[in-house]
Parts: sequence; structure tokens; C-alpha cells
Amino acid sequence: MWHNQAILTETEFVLHGRLGELVRLAAETARFCREHSLGDEVEFDLNLVLEELFTNSVNHGGCAGMENAVQVRLQLLNNAVQAEFADRGRPFDPLTAPEPDLQAGLEERSVGGLGVHLVRQIMRDLEYRRAGGWNRLTMRRPC
Amino acid sequence: MLTNKKAEIPMIQLTQETRSGWCVVGVRGRADAEAADELEGALRAALELHPKVAADLAALDYISSAGLRAVIQAARAAQAKNIEFAVCSLSAPVQKVFDMSGMHHIMRIHGELPC
Repeated sequence: MWHNQAILTETEFVLHGRLGELVRLAAETARFCREHSLGDEVEFDLNLVLEELFTNSVNHGGCAGMENAVQVRLQLLNNAVQAEFADRGRPFDPLTAPEPDLQAGLEERSVGGLGVHLVRQIMRDLEYRRAGGWNRLTMRRPC
Repeated sequence: MLTNKKAEIPMIQLTQETRSGWCVVGVRGRADAEAADELEGALRAALELHPKVAADLAALDYISSAGLRAVIQAARAAQAKNIEFAVCSLSAPVQKVFDMSGMHHIMRIHGELPC
């Protein structure tokens, strides 16, 4: 019974490797949140996290121009959104990326690494694995 | 249905006007990775022509690290040219992203427009 309910609350979508897909990413995230009566703050956070991972895959992960490069799954489970972000790019574990120095001044501040930093700030229980040519990152956002 | 959603999620809109010696760049909508270059371009264009530039973010609903990067690059350009650059009126969600990114360490964030 509970198992069946969990399946019904799942959303899955596939994105091609181009930044124009951000519109669809935002629309799919908004639809998932609306269907599950999740508030604006949850929607904002999920949109932000998924955008950061997606743009990293396209701009740095080798997914640029790739058809069906990214697969996103969202599921509402135990008062949290369980998210999985998977891409077919080069093997890359974002959890091993160095944290940016947020104390650095304007001149010294590196503009890289901020996206992954935001993902780690917002999400909990992040886990990475590489399987069958896919990078898979699972994480949850309590709501 | 997708068309409706697109209408609900506006792209970035940029305006520019001059008030009391300040060039105010109004930023509305979403500053995501696709819009970041446009945002940086609009801020840089204002910095080319005016000694005092304010970015009014009151109607900005969303920003990602790409949008932050555009603001950081504009702040760097302003500093190099010795131009006053004020980032103003953040909405609550945008403020949260600024806070998580430590933006207050590298630029002054103004609650209201200076003009």
C-alpha cells in the first residue's frame, strides 16, 4: 500500500545537453511542486540545485550537445523530496570538489565551485555513484 | 500545458533609466545560466557610460551561481574603473542565495535604491 503510494508521487524527466533546457527543467520542477502542494521555497531550492548540476554537466562535464544527456527523478518520501540527478558525462564526483573560499575578496574570489557549494548547502544525505556510464547523485531536501 | 508553464516562468528582463545621477539597471525575472551573459552585458554597458550604477534586483525572482557570477564580474569591472556600483533591494529568495555564497564579503548590498 505505502509502496504503491510512493510510486505515484514520482516524477522523471530527461534533458538534452544544452542550456535552453533550463526552461523545461524549471517547468518540470514547478509542476512537481504544484502537484504535491510544496511551497515556493522548496521549488526555488530544487530548481537552483538542479540548475547547478545541469549547467556543470553541460559546461564542464562533456554533456554539451548530447541528446538525452541528463535524467532527473523527484519523489516525495517521508516529508522530504528525494532527488536523483544522473548524467552521461565524464566521471565526476561533485562531493570531492574543493569548497570555494567564501572569505576571499572581490579580486581573489574564484567564480568556480559556487554551484556545487550551493547544492551542498541546500541538500542533505548526498551520495554519488558511477554506474553503467552514468554519474548518479542522490540527495534529499526536507520539506 | 508546457506553453502555459513557460509563460509563468519569465526569462530575464532588463531596463535602464537615469535618476539623480544614478544609472539604475532594473533586473526582472530569472538570472539563470542562460540569462547570465545578458545580465553581465547590461551591467557592463551601464558601467561604460555612467559614474554611478545601481542594480535594482527587487523584481528578480531567481538567481543561480551563473547570475551571481555576472554580478561579481560587474563589481570587478566597476572597481577597476573606480565607478560606484550598488546592488539593491534583494527579494527574500535571492537574498538567501547571496547569503549562502558569502556575497556580503565582496560587495555592499543595499536594502534600498540610493536614489
